[in-house]
Amino acid sequence: MHTAAPIISARKLARRYAMGKEAVMALNGVDLEIQRGEFVALIGPSGSGKSTLLNLIGGLDRPTSGEIWIEDLELGKATDKRLVHYRRDRIGFIFQSFNLLPTRSAAENVEVPLMLAGVGRRQRRERALQLLAQVGLAKRAGHKPNELSGGEMQRVAVARALANQPALLLADEPTGNLDSKTGKEILNLLRDTIQAQGLTLVLVTHDLNVASCADRIVHMLDGRVAQIEIADERAARVELAEEVLP
Amino acid sequence: MTFGDLGRNALSNLGRRKVRTMLTSIGVIVGILTIVTMVSLGIGVRLEINKQFKAIGLERVFIRPQEGERNFFTQFAPPQRSKPITDAEVARWRQLPKVKEVVAEVDLPLGVASGLRIGDRTQQISVEGPANALNQVPFQQPPTAIAGQIELPSTAGSMVLTAGALRELNIGRDQAPSLVGQSVEIVLQAPRGEQQAFSFTVVGVSTDESPVVRVPLPDRIAMKSWWFNKPELLKSDGYDSVTILADDVNTASALVGQIRAEGFRVQSLELILSLADQVFTVINVMLSSVGGLALLVASLGIVNTMIMSIYERTREIGTLKAIGASRGDIRLMFMLEAGLIGLMGGVIGILAGYGLGKLLNRVILWYIEREQLPVRGDFFVVTPSLVLYSLLFATLIGIVAGLYPANQAAKLDPLMALRHE
Ligand SMILES: Nc1ncnc2c1ncn2[C@@H]1O[C@H](COP(=O)(O)OP(=O)(O)OP(=O)(O)O)[C@@H](O)[C@H]1O
Ligand SMILES: [Mg+2]
Repeated sequence: MHTAAPIISARKLARRYAMGKEAVMALNGVDLEIQRGEFVALIGPSGSGKSTLLNLIGGLDRPTSGEIWIEDLELGKATDKRLVHYRRDRIGFIFQSFNLLPTRSAAENVEVPLMLAGVGRRQRRERALQLLAQVGLAKRAGHKPNELSGGEMQRVAVARALANQPALLLADEPTGNLDSKTGKEILNLLRDTIQAQGLTLVLVTHDLNVASCADRIVHMLDGRVAQIEIADERAARVELAEEVLP
Repeated sequence: MTFGDLGRNALSNLGRRKVRTMLTSIGVIVGILTIVTMVSLGIGVRLEINKQFKAIGLERVFIRPQEGERNFFTQFAPPQRSKPITDAEVARWRQLPKVKEVVAEVDLPLGVASGLRIGDRTQQISVEGPANALNQVPFQQPPTAIAGQIELPSTAGSMVLTAGALRELNIGRDQAPSLVGQSVEIVLQAPRGEQQAFSFTVVGVSTDESPVVRVPLPDRIAMKSWWFNKPELLKSDGYDSVTILADDVNTASALVGQIRAEGFRVQSLELILSLADQVFTVINVMLSSVGGLALLVASLGIVNTMIMSIYERTREIGTLKAIGASRGDIRLMFMLEAGLIGLMGGVIGILAGYGLGKLLNRVILWYIEREQLPVRGDFFVVTPSLVLYSLLFATLIGIVAGLYPANQAAKLDPLMALRHE
C-alpha cells in the first residue's frame, strides 16, 4: 500500500487568516501523505487546524503557501473551474450538521451532485435509490430532512457523498451531532463502505474512540502535525465491537 | 446542470414562498397590465380611425389656393390669391390619367349676412354646398332624407334644407314634406347697404343637424359675386376648393406632390392619417411609460425579494458550492427565479390587461350606443406581437433585476456560507 503514489500529499502547507492587524496561522507547515484506501483520523484540540486542513484537501479553501496534491492535481494553483469539478466528481463531503437541502426529499438530496454533473433524471433517481438502500434508508427515500432522525440525515449525507463515485471521502466531525450509538453506526457504515469500495477517508474528530478505528491517527497541534500514530487494526476492531462507547 | 433541472429547481424554490412570490410579482402585473391596456387601446383606436378614414376614401386629394394671411381687419375682405384655381386648372386636372372625378367648389365667405325667407318668416342661416367628402365627419352617420330628395341637383335654384335649419326656423319635422316644392328666398344684406334676394325651390330635407341650407354651385357663385361686387369672380378669385377623386391611393399620393409643385395647398386623408398615426405613437409611448414606471418599481421589488431569499438560503448555497455547484450554476439558478417572477407577472398582467380592455370596451360601446354614434367594434386590440413583447419585457425585467442578487449569491465563499446561521 505504501509503495504506490499517495492520493493526498501536503507539502509545507500553510494557511494564514488575517484578523485585523494580527494574523492567525491556522496551518503552519503541514507535511502529510495519505495513501489510496487509507482511513485517516485527524485529531487534536480545538483550534489546532483540523477543519482548515480538511477544507484545503476538499478544495473549499486555498493555502497561503505550500502545496496540496490530490493525485496529479495541485489544488492551490488549480483554476476555479477545475476546483469545482474536483469537488463535484472526485470527493464526497460529509458535514457535522448534515447540510441537507431542507425542501428536498432524501432521494432528491442524494441526486443533487448527479444533477450538478448533468446526469439524466431517471438515471440519477435509480442511483439515488440504490445508494439509499446501501445506507439502509430504502424506506425513507421520500422523506424530507425534517422528517428524519439525526442518524438518518447523516446516512442520507453519506449516500449523497457517494453519489458521484468519488475516490476520497472527507468528513468533519460526522458523529459530532449524534449520540454515541448512532455515531457508532455511522462510523461502521463509513468504514464498511470504504473497505468495500476501496475509498480513502479523512475524518476529523475529537473522539479518541472514533479515531481509534482509523488506520492512522494524525495528531494536530497549533497548525502542525504533532504526531502520527499507526493504529493496531485488529485491536481497534475488537475495541469497537466490545467496548460500549461512553 | 441541465436547463430542465434549473427550471424545475427555480419553480420549486418559488413555490416555497408562494405568498412572497405573488406579492413580488404584483408590481410586474400592474406594470404589464397598464402597458397592455394602454397599447391595446392605442392599437384599437388607430385601427378604428383607419377604418373610418378608409370608409371616406383615401383616394381623395383636397386642393385650395394659396392665400395671404388674414387678420381681424381683412377677414371679411375677398381673399388675396396670387394663383387662383381657375376653370382652366380644373379642366386640366380632369384630363389627368387615373382621375375619376374632380369637384370644384365655391364657399360663401364668413360673415355673409344671409337670411332664409319662407313665406313671411325670415331667419339668419348659413349657405353651404352639398354634403361631400370634405365636410363628412368621421364617426358620424351620413345624413338621410326626412322628405323629398337630399341629393342636390347641380342646376341653379334648388335647395336642400336640414333638420338643423328646421329647428332654427321653429318648424316641426312633421311639416317637412309640405316644404318640398315650396319656393323660398335667400336675402343677402351687403354692408354697402344694398339688398338682394335669390329664389330657390326646396327639393328635400335631410337629417343633418347643422343649421344650414345647401344650394348648388351656380347659386353660390352668383351670391358671392354679388356680395363682393365682382361679376367675374371665377376669373379673378377662382374656386375655393377642389376635390379630386383618384382611382387609387397611390395616384392620390402622387397627385399631392404634383399639384403642390404647381403652387396650391394640397392635402389628402392619407397625409392626415399618417399624422394621426404619429400622434398616436407619441401618446402610446407616453401612456406606456406609466407602465414602464410601474415595472421599474417592480424590478426593485424583485431585487429586494431575491436578496432576502438569498440571505435565507445562504447555507444551502454553501452546501451546493461545497458539493460541486459552480458560480455559473448558482447565478443561473437565481436569475431564472427572478426571470420566472417576471414571466409570471407578465402572464397574469397580460390576462388582466386583456380582461380590463374587454370591460372598458363594453363601457365605451354602451356610451356610444347612448350617443347613437355609428361605431362598433373593439377599441382594445391585443395583438400576438403585443403579447410576445410584453412577455419578453416582463421576463427581461425579472432577469435584469436578478442580475445583482444572483451575482452576489454566486460570489459567496462556500465556507463562509456554510457557517451562516
Ligand atoms: N475564516 C477564518 N478567519 C479567521 N480565523 C479562522 C478562520 N477559520 C479558522 N480560523 C482560525 O484558525 C484556527 C484553526 O481553525 P480550525 O477551524 O481549523 O480548527 P479546528 O481544529 O477544526 O477546531 P475545532 O475542533 O474547534 O473545530 C483557529 O484558531 C481559528 O480561529
Ligand atoms: Mg473544526
